[in-house]
Amino acid sequence: MQPEHKLSFINRLRIMRETRFGAFVPVLLALAAIWTYFGLAVPLWEYWGDPDAENIRFIFLSPRNIYNLFMQSAVIATLAVGITVVLLLGDIDLSAAATAGVCAALLGVLVLAGVPGPLACLIVMGVGIVMGTAQGVLVAYVGIPSFVVTLAGLLGFQGLMQKILPTGNLNVGDPFVRGFARVLLPDALGWVLALTCIVVFVWMSLRRQAQRKARGLELDSTAAVWGQIVFFGALMLATVATLNSYRSVPLLIVLLMAITALVGWITTSTPYGRSIFSVGGNPESARRVGMNVKRIRVSAFAIVGLMAAIGGIFGASRFGSVSYTAFAGGSLLLESIGAAVIGGTSLFGGRGSVWNAILGALVIGSLGNGLDLSGASAADKLMFSGAILLLAVAIDAVSRSGTSER
Amino acid sequence: MSEHENKVGLRAPPAHLRVSGIHKRFGGVHALRGVDFEVARGEVMALVGDNGAGKSTLMKVLAGAHAADEGQFFMDEAPVSVNTPHDASDLGIQIVYQDLALCENLDVAANLSLGAEPVKPGWSFLPQLLRPLDDLEMEVKAQAAIDRLQVRTLKSVRAKVGGLSGGQRQAIAIARAVGADGSVVMLDEPTAALGVAQTRQVLDVVKRLRDTNHAVVYISHNMRDIFEVADRICVLRHGGNVATWRKDETTPDEIVVAMTRGLDDEAGNAA
Repeated sequence: MQPEHKLSFINRLRIMRETRFGAFVPVLLALAAIWTYFGLAVPLWEYWGDPDAENIRFIFLSPRNIYNLFMQSAVIATLAVGITVVLLLGDIDLSAAATAGVCAALLGVLVLAGVPGPLACLIVMGVGIVMGTAQGVLVAYVGIPSFVVTLAGLLGFQGLMQKILPTGNLNVGDPFVRGFARVLLPDALGWVLALTCIVVFVWMSLRRQAQRKARGLELDSTAAVWGQIVFFGALMLATVATLNSYRSVPLLIVLLMAITALVGWITTSTPYGRSIFSVGGNPESARRVGMNVKRIRVSAFAIVGLMAAIGGIFGASRFGSVSYTAFAGGSLLLESIGAAVIGGTSLFGGRGSVWNAILGALVIGSLGNGLDLSGASAADKLMFSGAILLLAVAIDAVSRSGTSER
Repeated sequence: MSEHENKVGLRAPPAHLRVSGIHKRFGGVHALRGVDFEVARGEVMALVGDNGAGKSTLMKVLAGAHAADEGQFFMDEAPVSVNTPHDASDLGIQIVYQDLALCENLDVAANLSLGAEPVKPGWSFLPQLLRPLDDLEMEVKAQAAIDRLQVRTLKSVRAKVGGLSGGQRQAIAIARAVGADGSVVMLDEPTAALGVAQTRQVLDVVKRLRDTNHAVVYISHNMRDIFEVADRICVLRHGGNVATWRKDETTPDEIVVAMTRGLDDEAGNAA
C-alpha cells in the first residue's frame, strides 16, 4: 500500500509541474508558507506570549516592509532571471555575481571619471555581454564543463573586481544611476500601468481562446482561463496597492518586470527560446534538426552576462555604493542560483521559467527579511536558506525521476 | 545474382530509391561489399541480417550519415548523389534512429515542428530567430500529422513527450520524419524496446505509412513483426546481399537460415 500511495503522489506532483501554471504552485506554496509564518504566526505568538502588548504588530506584512522586500529581492531576481536561461540549457553559471561585481565596480569608476551615467551603463552592459560570451565560447567550442569555466570565472572576476576597487568600496552618486532605485512612479501612473497590463492580459487570453476555437483546436477550460486572469489581476492590483500605500511603485521594480517579461517572451515564444529548451531537453535532437547548439550555448551565456551587468547597475543604484562584499564576495551568487532553483527551474536543463525565478527570489528575500525581523542570527539565516534550497532541489529531483523511469 | 533476386526484380514495383554496388570501408574493415538495395513507394521493405551484416551501415549510407566509398544512387531512376545527411533529407530520405531523439520536456506539437517552427507573419523587422512563434499553426500541423498516421491513443498534441508511452514516442518520431516532406522513411528497430500493445501501435503506423504511398525501410530482428508488415524482405550477410524475397513466397525459417548461413546450402530447398 505504502509505496503505491507514494508513487501516485509523485506522479501527481510530476503531472502538476508539467502544466503551465502548475509549475508556479510549489514556489507559491513556499512563499505563502513563509509569509504566513513571519507575517501572521510570529506576531500572534509574540502578542499572546507577552501580556504587556497592546495590539498585534504585523511588521512583516506592513507595506513598508513589503516595499523593502521587493527592493532587496530585485538584484537577486535580476541575476536569477539570467541564470535561469543558462540552467534551461543544462549548464550553470557560478560567475554571475562576480560579473555583476566587476560591472558595478567599473560603473562606479567610470562615473567617477566623469563619464555620463547613461553611457557608463551601456558600456558596462557591453562589458557584461563580453564576459558572458567569453565563458560561453570556452564552454561550447572548447568543451570545458560550464561548472569549471564559471568557477574559474568566479575566482578571476573576484580578483578583477578587487583590482578595479583597491579600497573595496566606492560611493556612486551619479543621479542617473541612483535614479533607478530612487525614482518612484506617481500613484496614478502605477494604477494606470497595472490596469493596462491587466487589460492586455485579458485581451490576449480571450483572443487566443477565440483563435483556438476558430481553428478547431482543443480549448482550455473557461474556468482555467478566467482563473488565470483573476489570479494575475489580483496579484497586480494587490502589489500596486501595497506599494502605493507606503511610497509608490519604484522604477526599479517596473524595469525588472519589463526585462523579465522580455526574457520570458523570448524563451517561451520565439524559435530561439524553443531552441534553448530543445538543447536543454535533448542536445542530440536539437543537433539533428539542424540547430547550431554551440552558438545557442554561447548566446545564453551572453544573456547571463548582460543580466549580471544589469544586476550590477541595479545594485549600485540601490546601495548608492559598490562594495566587494555586496557583490562578488557575498552571498549574492548562491542566493540567485538558489532563487532560480527554488522557482522550479531544473538543474538538469529543459524545464523552468524566468517568472519562477522572480518568485524564487522573493522566497529567498522573504526568508532573509523575516529572519532579520525576528532577530535571527546570520548563522540561522544561512541554515534556513540551505534547508529551503535543499527542499527545492529535492522536489525537482523527485518530479524528474518520475519522468525518466518510464 | 541469385534466381530469387531476378524473380523478384521482374515482378517488383518500380523502385523509388535504388542503390547499387555500394562499398563502404572503415579502415581495414570492409563493411559493405557491393550491396544492391531498392525500395518502392507504397511498400515496406524489410532489411534483415545478423549482427555485423551491414544493415545499420547501409541505412546510414542511405541517410547520408556515412558517405559511400563506391556505388550509385537513383531516385525514380534518376542518378543522384548522397554524401551528407542534408543531401538525403533534400531528397526526402528520412531516418528514425533507435534513440528517437525527441525532446521530452517539450510537447508533441513542439517536437513535430522542432527546427522548422512556423512564425507569425508581419514581424519581418526581427531576425528569424526572434519572431513570435505561431504555436496555433504548430498545433494544427501536428494534429494533421497525427491524424494522418492515425495515432489514436494520443489524446492531445499539447501533451509532453516525457509522459508518453514508448509506442506513442515512436509514432511521434516517425511523424516528425515524415512531416518534413519525406518520401522514404527508414526505421531502425522501431519495436525493439516495446511491449505487445505498443508494438501493435507502431506496426499500425508503419502500415499507415505504406498506405499513404511512402517507401518504408524497416530494420528489425523480430521475424513476427517483419512477416506482419513487410512486402519484401532483403537479407544481408557479411556486408553483401543474400537475396530479396517477397513475403508471401518465403517463411521465417527460410529467412533465418539465409541470415545465418547464406543461400548456398538452401538453394535447392527454396527453388
